[in-house]
Amino acid sequence: MNQPLQSIRSASVDWRMVLMAGVLVAISLIFNAFSDGIFLSPENLYNIAQQTAVVGILATVMVLVIVARHIDLSVGSVMGFVGVLIATLMYSANWSWPAASLAGLAAAILVAMYQGSLTAVVGVPSFVVTLGGLMSFRGAAFLVADGRTQPVTDPFFLRLGGGIDGAIGATASWVLGVLMCLALALTMMGRRRARQRYGVPTNALGIDILMVAVPCAIVLGFVATMNAYQIPNKDAPQGIPVPVLIWIAVALCMSFLVHRTRFGRYVFAMGGNPDAAALVGIPVRRVTLQLFVLLAVLTTIAAIVSIARLNAGTNSLGNNMELLVIAATVIGGTALAGGSGSILGSVLGALIMQSIDSGMLLLDVPIGWRYVIIGQVLIVAVVFDVLYRRWSGDTP
Amino acid sequence: MQFKRQLTAFALAMGTAAAFAQATVGVSWSNFQEERWKTDEAAIKAELAKSGTKYISADAGGSAEKQLADIDALIAKGAKVLIVLAMDKDAILPAVNKANQQKIPVIAYDRLIEAPGVTYITFDNKEVGRMQARAVLAAKPKGNYAMIKGSPTDPNAQFLRDGQQEVLDAAIKKGDIKIVGDEFTDGWKPEVAQKNMEQILTKNGGKVDAVVASNDGMAGGVVAALAAKGLKGVPVSGQDADHGALNRVALGTQLVSVWKDSRDLGRESAAAAVALAAGKKPAGAAAWAGGEKKVSVQAQFLKPVAITQANLDVVVKGGWIKKEALCKGVTDPKVAACK
Repeated sequence: MNQPLQSIRSASVDWRMVLMAGVLVAISLIFNAFSDGIFLSPENLYNIAQQTAVVGILATVMVLVIVARHIDLSVGSVMGFVGVLIATLMYSANWSWPAASLAGLAAAILVAMYQGSLTAVVGVPSFVVTLGGLMSFRGAAFLVADGRTQPVTDPFFLRLGGGIDGAIGATASWVLGVLMCLALALTMMGRRRARQRYGVPTNALGIDILMVAVPCAIVLGFVATMNAYQIPNKDAPQGIPVPVLIWIAVALCMSFLVHRTRFGRYVFAMGGNPDAAALVGIPVRRVTLQLFVLLAVLTTIAAIVSIARLNAGTNSLGNNMELLVIAATVIGGTALAGGSGSILGSVLGALIMQSIDSGMLLLDVPIGWRYVIIGQVLIVAVVFDVLYRRWSGDTP
Repeated sequence: MQFKRQLTAFALAMGTAAAFAQATVGVSWSNFQEERWKTDEAAIKAELAKSGTKYISADAGGSAEKQLADIDALIAKGAKVLIVLAMDKDAILPAVNKANQQKIPVIAYDRLIEAPGVTYITFDNKEVGRMQARAVLAAKPKGNYAMIKGSPTDPNAQFLRDGQQEVLDAAIKKGDIKIVGDEFTDGWKPEVAQKNMEQILTKNGGKVDAVVASNDGMAGGVVAALAAKGLKGVPVSGQDADHGALNRVALGTQLVSVWKDSRDLGRESAAAAVALAAGKKPAGAAAWAGGEKKVSVQAQFLKPVAITQANLDVVVKGGWIKKEALCKGVTDPKVAACK
């Protein structure tokens, strides 16, 4: 084994993420060239960020579900059910939006307890439980409002879905961007200091500086792009759209859960080896139930964002969403066999998929070809995953 | 022989008279669980009651096999005319042929049954497309048009688009109208229509002057996409008279929704059944062979109604929507139906 290659492998850089980011950049440049510069215009990037948010929010939690060797096929249907329920309570029953959203959350948690306990306690495979749920809750979404579309009109609520007033403006966006950079730098400094204190070898200073500087540049670049987009008849730039902000917040919380809490470690341990996890005393049932409840919370958030974005709850809401979410997760490098996956990967996976879809729409690619291509992208991603694991010596 | 013919004529005359007095119409529903057929049934019953015709019905509960048995049962119960909402347009054929042999006329309700002797009554989907395009064209005779089509797997999506094209064709050739986006919408889904509309707007730098959307759900997605870009007053079409869409028409964010009043369909079918029971040809039916297998049937195409702000009172008076639901959030005093 030659020396430089070895040092690249051992540096605590996630090369898979770097490669995926590279793929995303390559895709963007290709589409940009073919669309005469429209693809990388602030307006289109703003569109893509918003269009990806709902799938992205669900993908962050789907990572954990798949890591734990489960699957949730019902996520789109449950999102539709909860979304229509919230919209109906607001429109037909005149509830306030917080009350309606809480009722939606309660319904989602009930669903999660039902499906979760069948999986965790009775031991029915989650594939079967949620396949049933996929059909039942699609039906429930129809029954809630008799199939009628429920308009959503509350101006504050509509901001949660983006729309004309659904962004936080330039100043707040910059403040958030800078705060995130500071947080990144402080975390890295803390980590270096801790490693030195315990005598663990650290990365070269240059590498660590790069590992702060590059993400920081991406964050600030993103803020600058969102701030560069101004709707023609508005007098101020948009800034970060609220749904994207929610997605970022969700992804950060989920990363924290994965890396810093017992729950996160348990989930990965269960996925890596369920028998060993049970033998060392991990409360597998309880953790599985907690995972389903977490899924319910994020499904509700996704439902709220999507009805706010569409300005309506419809019975088709979230139809086939489970497939997009699972595809984003898999493209993001989560192994379907369980045990490994990352939140950042799901974010990149969702972005790659939506970029390809939106880019092809810009180029007027016929709908049949769009499906053919997106399907093959999924395959390419999994092939890459298999090859990468072989190269890095990681067993899937 | 002479006597026999007279007797037959007499019997026929008696039969006709009896039909007028107490004919029976049998209705075979494919799947009555669906909300909308209840509206149709009420209209059929009301129309039949006018002529004192008896209504009997059977519900196949979504099973093509059960529908065959249902039709046998309806004939056994004395149905002189059958109205059939077919679960499966091909599987139903043996039952229709059996009815034909017994000289029992069959009305294909809303869904085509391709067998000789059938009377097919439905709304004209091409006409729906024409009405959508006509309304939008009247509001914006020149400019950039976006076409939001239905599901690529649903033949109706193409019928609608064909109808729209017929109306817009001349203006397109003259150069008054430019189609700047023409997208199918997977599963008629509003959120997909929204995403497609966003990309069409981005591609054209927001310069879209009118949107011909094929139904109300997708129109909702389009209106959300336009609103998010701060575009106001862009005419958008739709179809189905969804409550949400009618509210948008009242609010002025959607121009038109084409309404296929299922009570019209029920009433016309019942009237045709009464005519057929009396041995007469239904008014309005004509030979047509536009189906998949090109079988010649009698067909009657009903005209849908284009609902705009000017005639919103039609849907309220027709009992389709309550005024509160229609006028939610409407402040414009020019909307007559909301006064």
